Amino acid sequence: MQGGPDLERLYDEHAQALYAFLLNFTRDEADTRDLLQEIFTRLAREPKLLSGVREPRAFLIRLAHNAAIDLMRRRGTRDRTRENFAAEAISPFAPSPDPDEQVFRNEFSAALAGLPADQRAVVHLKLWGGLTFEEISVALDIPPNTAASRYRYGLDKLRARLRPLYEEMKKAE
Amino acid sequence: MMNDETERFEQRLSRQPLRQVPGDWRAEILREGRRAAVPKNERDPDAASLPKWNWRTSLAEIFWPHPKAWAGLAAAWVLIAVVNFSLRDGSPGMAWQYSPPSPAVLVQLKQQQRLFAELVGTIQPPDADRQKRFAPKPRSERVEILMA
Repeated sequence: MQGGPDLERLYDEHAQALYAFLLNFTRDEADTRDLLQEIFTRLAREPKLLSGVREPRAFLIRLAHNAAIDLMRRRGTRDRTRENFAAEAISPFAPSPDPDEQVFRNEFSAALAGLPADQRAVVHLKLWGGLTFEEISVALDIPPNTAASRYRYGLDKLRARLRPLYEEMKKAE
Repeated sequence: MMNDETERFEQRLSRQPLRQVPGDWRAEILREGRRAAVPKNERDPDAASLPKWNWRTSLAEIFWPHPKAWAGLAAAWVLIAVVNFSLRDGSPGMAWQYSPPSPAVLVQLKQQQRLFAELVGTIQPPDADRQKRFAPKPRSERVEILMA
C-alpha cells in the first residue's frame, strides 16, 4: 500500500515533535489534531513528498508551521483574540505533581503565549526541538540571523516575566 | 557570567516536559491518512453496486405490500394508452375538417360577411364606391351641379 509502513515510521519519529510544536502554536488540542491529520494525510497522498529531503524533521516542521499559519488566517479575528487570551488556553506542558513546579509551568505557559507567534515558534524549536538556528531558518523559511534575533528577543521577554519566580525557585533549590 | 546565567535559564526552560501526543490519535490519524491516499472509487468496492441494490430494494419496498393494487393501476394505464392510440389512428378522417376551404367557398363567405355588415351598418362601403363619392371634380362641374 502507498505510504503504508513509511507513514507509520514517520508518525513514530515525528508526531510528538509536531504535536508539541502545533500545540504551542495553536494552544488548542482540536486544532492541533486537525493540523496533524492534515500533515499525515498529505504525506500519505504524496509519498514522494519527502524524497530528496535532507532534514525530514525541519521539512515537517515547515509543513506544520505553514498549515498552522493558514489555519490562523482562516480563523482571522477570532484566533487573534484567542492568542491574546492564550494564557487561559491549554498549556503545552505536562502537568506536574509538584505544586511549585506546576506554578512555574503555568507561568511559563502564559509567558510563552504572550510572545508573538514568530518568536514563540523559534523559541520552541530551539528549546525543545533541539534545532540549530540554521535548521530553524530552513524550517520556518527565514534567514538564520532572523531566527537568532527572534530567539534572543523571545528569551529576554521570558526572562523578564519569569525572573521573580525563577529566582525564588533557585533560592529554594 | 551573564552567558552562564542565560544558559542555566535556557536549560531550566528546556527541562520542562511537554505534553505527550494522545495515544489514540496514532491509529486514527494513520487510518485516515491511508484512506485519503486511496482514490475514492477504490475505497469501497461495494460502493459501485450500492445504487443498483438500493434501486431494487426501494422498488420492492414500494410494490411488494400491495401487488394487486399496483397491477390494477398498471392495467388501467395500459387501457388508457390503447384507447389513446386507437383515437389517434382515426385522425386522418378528422384531418379533412382542417383542410383549407376552396376559393369559391371563400368568395361566398366574404360576400355573406359584407352583406351582413351592410345590413347591420357597421361597415364602410367598398373602396371603389368611396372613391367615386369623394373624388374631387373640376370647379366647372361643381358649379353645374349647384345650378341644377
